[in-house]
Amino acid sequence: MLAVRNVRKSFGESPHTYLALDGIDLEVSQGEFVCLLGPSGCGKSTLLNILAGFDQASAGTVDFEGAPVRGAGKDRVMFFQDAGAALLPWLTAEENVRFALRVRNVPKAEWPAIIDKYLEMVGLKEHRTKFPAQLSGGMRQRLQIARALAVEPKALLMDEPFGALDALTRRRMHGFLLDIWRRTGTTVVFVTHDIAEAVTLADRICVMSVGPGSRITEVIPVGLPRPRDLADPDAARVFKRVEGLLG
Amino acid sequence: MRAAGLFAGSIIVAFAVWQLLSTVVFNPFLIPPPLVVFKTMVPMVENGEIFKHVAISLARVAVGFTTGCVAGITLGVILGRIKLVNELLDPIIELLRYLSPTAMIPIAVIWFGIGELSKYFLIFWGTFFIVLINTTAGVMRAPIIRQRAAECLGASPLQIFLLVVIPSAAPYIVTGMRIAMASSFMSIIPAEILAADSGIGFLLQQSSVLLQTNRIFVALLTICVLGFVTDRLFRIAVDRMLSRYMSYIALT
Repeated sequence: MLAVRNVRKSFGESPHTYLALDGIDLEVSQGEFVCLLGPSGCGKSTLLNILAGFDQASAGTVDFEGAPVRGAGKDRVMFFQDAGAALLPWLTAEENVRFALRVRNVPKAEWPAIIDKYLEMVGLKEHRTKFPAQLSGGMRQRLQIARALAVEPKALLMDEPFGALDALTRRRMHGFLLDIWRRTGTTVVFVTHDIAEAVTLADRICVMSVGPGSRITEVIPVGLPRPRDLADPDAARVFKRVEGLLG
Repeated sequence: MRAAGLFAGSIIVAFAVWQLLSTVVFNPFLIPPPLVVFKTMVPMVENGEIFKHVAISLARVAVGFTTGCVAGITLGVILGRIKLVNELLDPIIELLRYLSPTAMIPIAVIWFGIGELSKYFLIFWGTFFIVLINTTAGVMRAPIIRQRAAECLGASPLQIFLLVVIPSAAPYIVTGMRIAMASSFMSIIPAEILAADSGIGFLLQQSSVLLQTNRIFVALLTICVLGFVTDRLFRIAVDRMLSRYMSYIALT
């Protein structure tokens, strides 16, 4: 569904160019949950921005469902860590979802049912008239998920979405995201620097090397049933292996 | 309630101190006591003289402020959105904005005479730069994440501009307008002192020539009340209509 071939990305003009990504190859299939894992500054967010279409690769190709990616597309919805900035703070929870339906040209008659469905799904139905500022960090992220899902994207691109949440809330959000992913069958590309998070969530973990010229050094299929427990020997083995690659 | 009480208390104490100082310590001719000022004010209110001046000054501020806001917001949005225009105009704006309305009075009189037009121009001049700079800053600082999020939800460039960028800039624009409003009330006075035959500033100037300190104080009090009331009305209007765009500043 998503095919990245030999992608290179450099910033700045020569001779001061910085080569961020070099020779990235990645294949994501329909409904798959892929994690891009690497230390800070390895270019994972850069890669995600290219997948989203916010940024262009300097060389190589990115195809989505057989067609090259040109600009942000409605099928690939990006999900940001800073929900406070990504949401429209002057709109209530339900108005934020309505905004997505409006810009997506969904017929007006369908709005109430869709809004109810997704606010219900993320457990924010009781809080529909609250503004983002009145919601907790976890609730804001759930609202961002509801808003993204409401336009029924084929792929969700998530840029360290739970990085700013406390450990407990983050764990809850993992269970929640997996549940939604199972129910909707959306393809997910998830960027993180947290090994445990990647092992908990992903079908496959793409480990990236440190820049400049970072690349995907290894792709590790996790292949364990969910929910996963990191204390479980199989999960621990995957964790160790990834840790070894990063260390 | 407590705030209103304190406010009233503070005013009352201030008047009492003023009354005391001007009768006991200072020369009551140079600093007329509040009671004298009120006594002077009554006939000016009754025969409508004060209202005539207030109305004229207010009309000048209204015209200059409105046109200045419209022009400042329009150009500010363009500058905030189109980098090349910004880079071309920014140096000029950065230089011109140091020309206060007061500095422009002499040339305004030559250009537009002492009629209404020169006053409109001076208020416009003061308002324009303040609103322009604030609008540009607000538009430029509309979070890129917010625009990108809207973009991948399917928003068109026009929708991003109207539904995301402008509302994001609203607090900056409104703040600019509020500062410009205060500045308008400050700059209308010198403009009318130097070049007018009506308005509060003219009342000040005329009373000064005639050494009527009590009338000067009536005019000064009027300026205080006028500026204060207008600002409060502006804030109430903003709270009523734009509160959802203003209240979130703490979040981002």
